[in-house]
Order: sequence, then structure tokens, then C-alpha cells
Amino acid sequence: MSGRRIAAIARRLLEGFRRDRRTLALLFVAPLVILGLLGYMLRNSSTPAVGIVNQDSGPLGSVVVTALQGSSKIEAVTVAAADGDAKLKDGSIVAYIVFPPDFSQRAQSGVIAPDVHVEGSQPNAAAEAVQALQQALVSLQSARPGGGVKVQPVITYLYGGPSLDTLDYFGAAAIGLIVFFLVFVVTIVSFLNERSQGTLERLMASPLRRGEIVLGYMIGFTVVALVQSVEVLVFCLAILKVHNSGNVLLIFGIEALMALTAVNLGIFLSMFARTEFQAVQFIPLVIVPQMLLSGILFPVAGEPPALQYLSDVLPLTYAVDALRAVMIKGADLSWMSLQIDIAVVAGFVIAFVVAGAATLRRRIA
Amino acid sequence: MNEAVAVDVAAVSKRFGDIKALDGVSLRVRRGEIYGLLGPNGAGKTTLIRSIVGLIAPDSGTVTVLGRKLPNLDVLRGVGYMTQQAALYPGLSVEENVEFFAAINGVHGGVKEALEFVDLYSRRGSVVSTLSGGMRQRCSLACALVHRPQLLLLDEPTVGVDPQLRVQFWERFRRMAADGTTIVVSSHVMDEAERCQRLGLIQFGRLLAEGSPAEVRDQAGTQSLEEAFLRLAGEKES
Repeated sequence: MSGRRIAAIARRLLEGFRRDRRTLALLFVAPLVILGLLGYMLRNSSTPAVGIVNQDSGPLGSVVVTALQGSSKIEAVTVAAADGDAKLKDGSIVAYIVFPPDFSQRAQSGVIAPDVHVEGSQPNAAAEAVQALQQALVSLQSARPGGGVKVQPVITYLYGGPSLDTLDYFGAAAIGLIVFFLVFVVTIVSFLNERSQGTLERLMASPLRRGEIVLGYMIGFTVVALVQSVEVLVFCLAILKVHNSGNVLLIFGIEALMALTAVNLGIFLSMFARTEFQAVQFIPLVIVPQMLLSGILFPVAGEPPALQYLSDVLPLTYAVDALRAVMIKGADLSWMSLQIDIAVVAGFVIAFVVAGAATLRRRIA
Repeated sequence: MNEAVAVDVAAVSKRFGDIKALDGVSLRVRRGEIYGLLGPNGAGKTTLIRSIVGLIAPDSGTVTVLGRKLPNLDVLRGVGYMTQQAALYPGLSVEENVEFFAAINGVHGGVKEALEFVDLYSRRGSVVSTLSGGMRQRCSLACALVHRPQLLLLDEPTVGVDPQLRVQFWERFRRMAADGTTIVVSSHVMDEAERCQRLGLIQFGRLLAEGSPAEVRDQAGTQSLEEAFLRLAGEKES
């Protein structure tokens, strides 16, 4: 092993990037665009419009309507009963709630029965409307003559808090995913170019050892990936203000491991592609299962048992778990679960390095 | 080991699936000579050259380069290899390419000399993707010889090169050979073969004849190398 030769390969890679504006944009502009969009979408999403029809002859209907109008989950609009269905059809509201003339009367006898008409094709929007209604109905508790039972649960948060939102949950995982995805794509294509332009053959006919080639590539790409990781991290924490209760250096360390995994997986898989098109075919194969199964969107514990086995062998599962543990739960290295996550990701890195170096000679011919 | 032999190929065979790329080839290249490998496309020239740089492990037989039996990584320090198409990094400048190949062969300096040797010093800052085919070929040659190898293997270096540049290339090969570099060059162009000190005629992975151009012509009893090649190839087949 010669440090000088390894450095020559790493330097060559970086010199190549310097003139390759498109790749630079993919590595350094794309993450900001993706994360920026995600942040804007999740933080500034508009609330679904819900129609309100108050026909109640008593006082309680308007109490609930006032509560609905104050809800942050929906945008309450008053509609006429006859227009309700038409508005559902044209999409201007996702649901409408009717308080019938006998609403107050029945409520006195303990039956609270508003009619909820739901558009139905968008489960999420309908759920929001129902949730808002349920919260609004609580206001009846105080308005109902004779008092009754007060429902006032006290909620204590182990991690996070009431202000933790969807972006905080996804943002932590997205940091890992974006670094993994972009570094993987750039590595697999660059390494493939090395083969298709014939320079790999030249390298193999030089005194370079296989390990030196893989290490040189690893170092070159890792430098790029680390710069990208810093950029993504600063953007998430300083601009998107994604919740973080952990150590920033620890997050960076996990991102770096993620990048190393992606680089080595890219080198390894490029051995099995002959053209760039074949390399591109690996992208959905590697990325889609990891997006679905690594717990980014749906918690792994909630998957059917058979899929959980699959999740358990994906590197991103551990990285996402580690990132969430640190950023949301404030985990540090003394946490057993975090130690395991980090050890597993490091294990993937080593496995891919060995696999990459082993297949290099065989696939050159 | 004979000091006067740069490359000793002994009974080398190599199959790729059903195709016999090399079939018991034996030949010796002497130090300081220009040895031409002559044969049609698909004859096995590239396979032979790749087995001399250790890119291919023969199924049987041995290859000895500069006194050491392959596979041997260290011996590659003394070997320069120019592939058929100019294998360069298109995003790097001419100078960066040559510097890179110097570095991976463990040498410093020599970049300027190599670039001057192929007349590219004035274009050293140009990015390779902007160069003409001939300039790329010259840059590729500079990359192959920047570490001053004792043995230079050139796989059809003049394919796609205009006649003027081809003459320049051969002029350079002769200068290098005069300085003691051993050169093995493959070609399917007969007039290039005349410029070699010795030739190996290859077809269907077998060595048909070996010797100086005059010896090869005498052996076949013909006036030109082209006729000699056709006659020798015909004899083998019948």
C-alpha cells in the first residue's frame, strides 16, 4: 500500500469534479432543493376546507361551530345544506358537517350526533376534518348545562414535545437518505466511466494494487460526501430549523458513515454493470426498497414480520434509526441502541469495501 | 534468465468460452528491439499484449517479463502500456492526465519531457475532451511512457491516426528503442511491419512465423510482407 498512489487517485477524482458542473450541481444544489421543498411543503401546507351547516335550533351547535372555526387543522367555511354535495363533487371542500335542528335537544339527553359528509377519496384530508370535529366537540363539555364530566388528560412527552412536527420526523431521516442516494449515484456512474473509457484497464496494468484503487476512490468520494453532509446539515438545522436535541458532531459522524456505505456500495455494484444505462437500473433497485422499508416513511416495527426481516438487512434502516435517535431523542454514544446502529452501518462499510476490491480484478477482463 | 530477453512468452494458451484467443504461443522479445505483432483483427494480438501486462492470466504456459515471471505487480513499474483507444480522463487537462499516470507509477517529474516528446507541451492546459483524436493519441502515448519504462507495449497505436502523425509516431518509437527501450507494437498495417526489427505473425491465436521482415519474406518465398502473410496463413489452414 502506498499512500502517495492512493492520494493520486483521490486527487484525480476531485480534479475531475472541478470541471464537471453538472455533477457538482447534483451533489450540492439538488439536496438543498429537495430539502427546501420538503420543508416548505410540510411546514406551510394549506389546511383542507370543511363546510359547516348549522341548522341547530338550540345554542350548542354554534358553540361547536365557533370551536371549529378556531381549529388549526381545517378551514371552516359556512355552506348551505343544499350545496354541500355539489361542493364535495367540485372539490372545493373535503367534507361538510351538518348540525341538525335537534342537535342541542339530543345533546341534552346525551346523544351528540352531527352528520359528517366526507368526500372520501382523500383519506388524510377526511381524517383531519374528523379530528378537528372531535376536538371541537370537547367544547361542549363546558357549555353543557349541568357540567358533567371534564375530560382533561395531562400529556407528558418522553422525547420531542407538542411542537415536534412532520418535518422534524422526516427531516432527520431525509438527511441520511439524500446523502446516501446522491453519493451512490455519482459513485456508481464515475466508477463505471473509469471502466468504459478504458482508464481502469490502464490502472490495472500499473503497479497499483486493487486495494489502493478502492481506497483512493473511497477517499476522493468521501471528501465530496463530507462537504455535502456539512451543507445538508447546516441547511436543515439553521434554515429549516429541524428539531435537534443531540450532538451535531454525532449527526455528522452518522452521515459520514452513510456516505462511506454509499461510496462502497456504488463501487461494488458498478462491477455488475457494463453500460451507464445498466448502472442507472441499479438505482431503483437499491433506493426504492430502502425508501419504503428503512423506516423513513413507515416505522419498521409496524411492518408485516416478513418485511421486517428485509428491513433488518438494509443499511439505511440503521442509519435512519440512529439519526432519529440522536436528533429527536437526544441520544448519545452511551445509548446501547445507538452503539448497535453505528456498529451495523460500519459493518456494511467494511463488507462493501471487501466485496468491491474482490470483484475488481475479475470484472476488468 | 537471459539478460538479453525482455519478454519471454512460453506456450501460452487462453480461451474465452468457446473461442481460443491464444493457442500455444511462444515468442521472445529481445531488449532494445522493436517487435511487431502482426495479424488481422481478432487474431489474438490484444489478448497477447494484455497477458504480457498481467491483465489476463493464461490458462496454460508462462509469461516472463524483464526477468520476472508473471503475475508480478512490481515488474509493472518497468512496463508502459498504451491501450487501443486513447484511455484518458476526459475531464482532466493533458498535463493532469500525464501527472496522474506518473504518480500511480511512483515517479515524480518527467511530465514535461513526456509532453515535449509528443509535442503537446504547448497544449498542456487543454482539457482532454476538447482535443482532436490525434492529440488524444499523443497524450495517451505520453501517459504510457512518462515513467520511462524499460518495456513499452503499444496496442495498435496508430489506428485512426493520420499518415503524417503515424510517421512521427514511428520516428519516436525508433528514438526510444535507440535509447534502450524495448517496444512491442501490434498492428494490422503491413507497411508498419517493415519498420519493426522483428515480427511475429499471428492468426487464430497461433504464431505463424517469426523473424525480421526479410526473414519472414524469405520463409514464405514472397516479395512483400502482405503476400508472405497470406501465404503463411493459407498453409496453416490447409
